[in-house]
Amino acid sequence: MYPTTDQTQEHAAALAGLPGMTPVRLSKLLDGFSPALAWKAVRAGTHPADPRRKFTIAARGADVDEVGASYDRAGVAILLPGSIGYPSMLIGDPGAPAVLFALGDPTVLEDRPRVAIVGTRSATHYGRQVASELAADLVAEGVVVVSGLARGIDGAAHAGALRADVVDGAPPVAVVGTGLDIVYPSSNTMLWEQVAARGAVFSESPMGTKPHPGVFPARNRIIAALSDVVVIVESHHGGGSQYTADAAARRSIPVCAVPGSVMSRASAGTNALLVDGCTPVRDATDVLVAISLARTGKEEFRADDANRQVSCLGVAGGGDPLARAGSPIKPHRAVRASNRTSPRMSEHQQAVFDAVDDTPTTFETILIRTDLSIATVAEACDNLVEQGVLSTGAGWWSRARS
Amino acid sequence: MIAAIPSAVLIGVDGHRVSVEVHVSNGLPGFTVVGLPDAAVRESRDRVRAALLSSGLPWPLRRVTVNLAPSGMRKGGAGLDLPIAIGVLVAAGELDPAAVEGTAFVGELGLDGSLRPVPGTVVLAESLRGLHLVVAVDSAREAGLVSEGDVRTSSALGELVERLSGRRAWDEAATESCGAAGNGSPQDSPHHPEVMTGSLGRPPHNELSDVRGQRLARRALEVAAAGGHHLLMVGPPGSGKSMLANCLPGLLPPLDRSTALEVTRIHSVTGLPLPPSGLIERPPFRAPHHGTSPVAMIGGGTSWMRPGEISLAHGGVLFLDEMGEFSAEVLDALRQPLEDGEVRVSRARGSTTFPARFILVAAMNPCPCGEGGAPGACRCTEAARERYARRLSAPLLDRFDIALPVARPQVDELMAPGPAERTDAVAARVSDARRLAAGRGVPFNAALSGPALDQLAPMSSAAVALIEKYIWSGSLSARGLHRVHRLARTLADLSGGGDMVEEEHVREALLLRCTRDLLLGVERR
Repeated sequence: MYPTTDQTQEHAAALAGLPGMTPVRLSKLLDGFSPALAWKAVRAGTHPADPRRKFTIAARGADVDEVGASYDRAGVAILLPGSIGYPSMLIGDPGAPAVLFALGDPTVLEDRPRVAIVGTRSATHYGRQVASELAADLVAEGVVVVSGLARGIDGAAHAGALRADVVDGAPPVAVVGTGLDIVYPSSNTMLWEQVAARGAVFSESPMGTKPHPGVFPARNRIIAALSDVVVIVESHHGGGSQYTADAAARRSIPVCAVPGSVMSRASAGTNALLVDGCTPVRDATDVLVAISLARTGKEEFRADDANRQVSCLGVAGGGDPLARAGSPIKPHRAVRASNRTSPRMSEHQQAVFDAVDDTPTTFETILIRTDLSIATVAEACDNLVEQGVLSTGAGWWSRARS
Repeated sequence: MIAAIPSAVLIGVDGHRVSVEVHVSNGLPGFTVVGLPDAAVRESRDRVRAALLSSGLPWPLRRVTVNLAPSGMRKGGAGLDLPIAIGVLVAAGELDPAAVEGTAFVGELGLDGSLRPVPGTVVLAESLRGLHLVVAVDSAREAGLVSEGDVRTSSALGELVERLSGRRAWDEAATESCGAAGNGSPQDSPHHPEVMTGSLGRPPHNELSDVRGQRLARRALEVAAAGGHHLLMVGPPGSGKSMLANCLPGLLPPLDRSTALEVTRIHSVTGLPLPPSGLIERPPFRAPHHGTSPVAMIGGGTSWMRPGEISLAHGGVLFLDEMGEFSAEVLDALRQPLEDGEVRVSRARGSTTFPARFILVAAMNPCPCGEGGAPGACRCTEAARERYARRLSAPLLDRFDIALPVARPQVDELMAPGPAERTDAVAARVSDARRLAAGRGVPFNAALSGPALDQLAPMSSAAVALIEKYIWSGSLSARGLHRVHRLARTLADLSGGGDMVEEEHVREALLLRCTRDLLLGVERR
């Protein structure tokens, strides 16, 4: 597209890093100019998009080589439209960033189905759990989960995506608002590093950009633009996720929402979206359906008599990597046989399993129902959690969602 | 003429011997007290004069100077009224010096000449060992606990002077009964649940069998009592956390003689009521409100150092209900005493060390709305929960060996068959376990250090395998390992088994151990 010299990327980064630069102004400066040419014109004060020479003095004081070296040292890639690694789905997008920065491998987005899982930062326990499970199940299906590495839903989605220990699970992708050298919120440092190591972290803000209210809505439009489907897990009325939903709607990208309690304020935004006609999402299958990767209705019962599983055949368009010769997609809305037994369970384990409800059960209740000793019940619980039959947390046990 | 009368004043929780020197000479009539007296001592001039006059004793119309030696030490309290009055009488020639030879006096005087008890009589008497001691009638038992000489009592100044000058006999019965109380050993005395625990107006501990259900919580109480482990209970309002905590003192063995004396001294100094025997033999139970200030919790004060709640709980239980509501300053101030078993309070005027070895029992809600715990029941935002959980700093949380979720009992628990185990039965197991710990040279297992654990609590191969599994899965840290090891030691002691820590003990210890997950409600898979 542009004549690419060695220097081009550094020039783009230097332009993006000028004080007072915004994505919109940057796009104007680079519209029709190669980064190196734009840089020269800005320094000379002759750039037509900068008639007031707003950036001239700052540009004259900046050292392009040093900017490039600092990005090299930090391992941050500078991506220009058309260069390798620049997400192909952004090309032609009306709001495409003129420069994109990336940590990790930016090409992981290509040739894979992508789902954005976003939501409020002040999420409830329910929202976090749904986001986490949804992400884990989708990643296991080879779907790239894109999110914003924020507190709440975003963090839970990334945590879920990283949890899926499937060999061919899709890599995680994050789009953040700050510069790639500034982790925000700092409580997500671990997640941030893991996402960068196993997938990619994108940002359109140059290094050194601190969190401020303006960057996050801009970040949300990139999340929407990168995705095939946007899933909003929880959102307050008028929350930031609404911006993502609007951005997706403008690009004709389907928006799905997870229904929540009508009493919960954290679900007010998502429930309102559902009323407006958004597709409701209960689990990963619903999302897969939404991106036409899976189709409900063709459920077949497999001859696994103990574990009756519902299987959906993956049906997808020609070049889709997920089609994988019609390999059955793992069921997410499995029918739970209420009195499922497994030959691996001992007598005590069976007694403990029977004592646990589908809703969370306390240790105390298990003790009363089984009338076994504390050590015996503890052992049985441990083993059942290990087998994946029970899940536990904060003193509660419940039957695991299979 | 000069008289010197031995007495004592309180500094912190220690008594310091003071010599009250009185000089009566010719000159302009006046009454001065020197030797760094505080306001209460300066006011004693007026009390002493009024008491002498209303007892029908003469007041010397001469120059009276009182010096409190050593003069460099600041003295407070009204306990010097009596020695000053006696000194004035001796110096004025109204009382034979031989009559007060080898006798110390401690007591406050009323304007009518009556003799009143003073706080801290136990430690005051301790510092006056080797002397006969005259105190108010109500202080006799306290003084008798530690005094080596005769403890003599009188209800009024006039009566006392008559006895000292031999015109009236000492009340023998009172003196004897004090001696008996002092010599009685708390170990021999039967278990007295009705004995006051030292807390004002608080009934004695709850009976454990009154708690329905809560098998795990009852077990945790037993383990905490046996091993001296600090205990954190997390649960919604109405789940019985306070009731459970109130059961704990009943499970603890009676205090040994030296601890009982320490506890009695602290309670005496603070002016709290003592049991009829004078000696506090049951572990105290303190439950300060969450508005408690740092000084009230730790001890201190400007004019005289007062022991705080943690010292009043020495030898017993400190229960912090609604722990999340305590100020961060108060909570963090607990860390050092929890580690050292004593607290050193330093002020510009001096520093004092108060004993503070107690079992910390804390209760809090899982989140601000209180309904957390049961996944999905909580309406708090993640941020609110995190903020709430952060109120307990990680170092403080580390001090808790046991943490358990307490849920509201459900119907099948309330209707659970059979009466639950009684306090006595559990207390018997606890004291057996404590005996085993005493054989290792520590009062309880929580005091065992890491290296000592490896030596004193060998684990069976199955137990080691189980622990390793947890470490590899990342759900047990190195620090957590020590705590689990200590807990498992106590559990093994309670089961009465041998020296070896078995797999089942580790299993139970892992269940009871303290994790931050409990507060954050984090899911584990």
